[in-house]
Amino acid sequence: MRLFKILRLATRDYRHEWQMSGCFILALAAVLGPMLVLFGLKFGIVGGMIDQLIEDPANREIRPVGSGRYDAVWLDRFRKRPDVAFLVARTRSIAATLQLKSRASNRILNAEMIPSAHGDPLLEGIAQPPTGLHRVVLSSNAARKLGVEPGDHIDGSLARRYRGRHERVHLDLEVADVAPPAAFPRDGAFVDLVLLEALEDFRDGHAVPALGWSGSPAPDQRHYPSFRLYARSIYDVATIKQALNDAGIDVRTKAADIELVMKMDRNLSTIYWAIAIIGLVGFSLSLGASLWANVDRKRKELSVLRLVGFRTGDIVWFPMIQAFYTATLGWVLAIGIYRLAALAINDMLSAQLADGQQVCVLLPKHYLAALVVTVVASVAAAALAGMRSARIEPSEGLREI
Amino acid sequence: MRSPDNNVSNVFRPSRDRGIIYHLRDVVLDRESQGISFRLNVPSLQIAQGEKIALIGESGCGKSTLLDILAFIAQPTSIGAFRFRPVNTGEPIDVGALWRRRKLNRLGELRKRHIGYVMQTGGLLPYLTVRDNMNLSRNVLGLRQDRTTEDLARELGIARHLDKLPETLSTGERQRVAIGRALAHEPSIVIADEPTASVDPLAAEKIMSLFIGLAEERNITVIVASHAWRHIKRLGLRRLAHHTQRSRDGRTTETVVNG
Repeated sequence: MRLFKILRLATRDYRHEWQMSGCFILALAAVLGPMLVLFGLKFGIVGGMIDQLIEDPANREIRPVGSGRYDAVWLDRFRKRPDVAFLVARTRSIAATLQLKSRASNRILNAEMIPSAHGDPLLEGIAQPPTGLHRVVLSSNAARKLGVEPGDHIDGSLARRYRGRHERVHLDLEVADVAPPAAFPRDGAFVDLVLLEALEDFRDGHAVPALGWSGSPAPDQRHYPSFRLYARSIYDVATIKQALNDAGIDVRTKAADIELVMKMDRNLSTIYWAIAIIGLVGFSLSLGASLWANVDRKRKELSVLRLVGFRTGDIVWFPMIQAFYTATLGWVLAIGIYRLAALAINDMLSAQLADGQQVCVLLPKHYLAALVVTVVASVAAAALAGMRSARIEPSEGLREI
Repeated sequence: MRSPDNNVSNVFRPSRDRGIIYHLRDVVLDRESQGISFRLNVPSLQIAQGEKIALIGESGCGKSTLLDILAFIAQPTSIGAFRFRPVNTGEPIDVGALWRRRKLNRLGELRKRHIGYVMQTGGLLPYLTVRDNMNLSRNVLGLRQDRTTEDLARELGIARHLDKLPETLSTGERQRVAIGRALAHEPSIVIADEPTASVDPLAAEKIMSLFIGLAEERNITVIVASHAWRHIKRLGLRRLAHHTQRSRDGRTTETVVNG
């Protein structure tokens, strides 16, 4: 009940002094707003850049050197490791080509077939992964040269010399999608492993019943000379490399590049944390100082409240309630400032950015964190100042004017 | 102790049946500021219920300090005895012990219930209307909102200002509001520190007689500090004797109050 009375008094004082209150709110927002912009930039640019570098598939790739003999069981077991993001077997590269021809163009492309599957890091964002014997994802170069789009059909053909005769077979392929340019720079297509196995079998003189290609029966046990392997993140590359080395497999990784990226990540993070901490300390100090000064200014009025019988404990609530108002309203204004600044920055740089990418970004949890920090810092500063005011003898406060 | 014939011979002397509200013995407060030390010494002071006390003297002689001691808002440096008995029937309260034990909230409780305080500059809260300022103590005490405040405002001649903010009022009007606030919760004692010092002499006299009149009607004990005796001696107040001594080097001042 007494607290409610103090709440009403503090609120009325805050409204009565709206100009002064407005100044405090502005002062808070003037410090918090730019802080939010700084954090937005750190999170947007640096965070995004680092994430890109860290998650770039090229940096996560682990390539076996030379060719080996891997069976499906071993590959399956290795694929189940938690630090492995993607693993698919390769067939012999000499057998992994196909001549592609479309109706839109009279060029015949000698395209490399790359084994792929659901979750291929190179095909991130592609809705239709290659599946089965007939659905493929073309590299952007191949799609351009063939003049095709997703949904078009193209003709794939390959030849072999079998029992002294030249044989050529054709198969109908549907372009499920086109890979981004960065995925594969040459003429190629991402295809299901079963298609690659079929191509290899045909070239080896075996039959492929699923496609109606004749030949000798395929062997029961299949071995793969190589595989495509991607670690979950760059931080897992070293462990996987070690595991493969232990199994006697020599691999090549981008360890040097990774080391560089990680170093950059660490350095930039350090710099930004330094800026953030300095900013936060400055923010807390300015907030504390202004609230402290405000309580000092109100000493006489707080003494009057003491005089009419409010307890020390009640009086402390008075500046705390007002600090809460200042913190909350200042936060709202700061977010307004931030949103405007972010809008301007993102708009200014939109030409240089990929679609949907933003330079200045904050998540709802960041807004919430800013609110919590602001309110806690404000109310704490006001509580300290209020306690100091409440502890003095009322007579001292009364005689000040 | 008083002799029985004191009751008869001196109208200002409290009678036994009225009861003693304040009883102070050897209460001393030392203060030091800017190299000058100041001492207020009260060897003996008794104030009875319904008495009207005037404390007259130059500023800086310790009037305000004594008022603050009596309102429990300044802690004496040493206390021989300090008893407070706001109601006739109750036991005297040992204020000295409360100070020693730093029972500030208990002292605040006593002040809230029994004492009204008129400050030199009004001390009105700028963000409350005149009505809410006058109701402040009633509100804190949780008293019923009845006609008391309106009646008081009418008697003080500020009824038409009840819904205004203090800043729109003249100094004299503000002091009337301050007096109203000190009386509204029907305290047994009102302490006023130069309540008319900031008002012109003519208005001051009017406000002071209004104030004393209202207190008299309600049988409230009044303790007023003022530097102008001439204004208030007609109002029938008992003047508290005190004398101030300065040391030869001017570095120490001692005021002794007896009564």
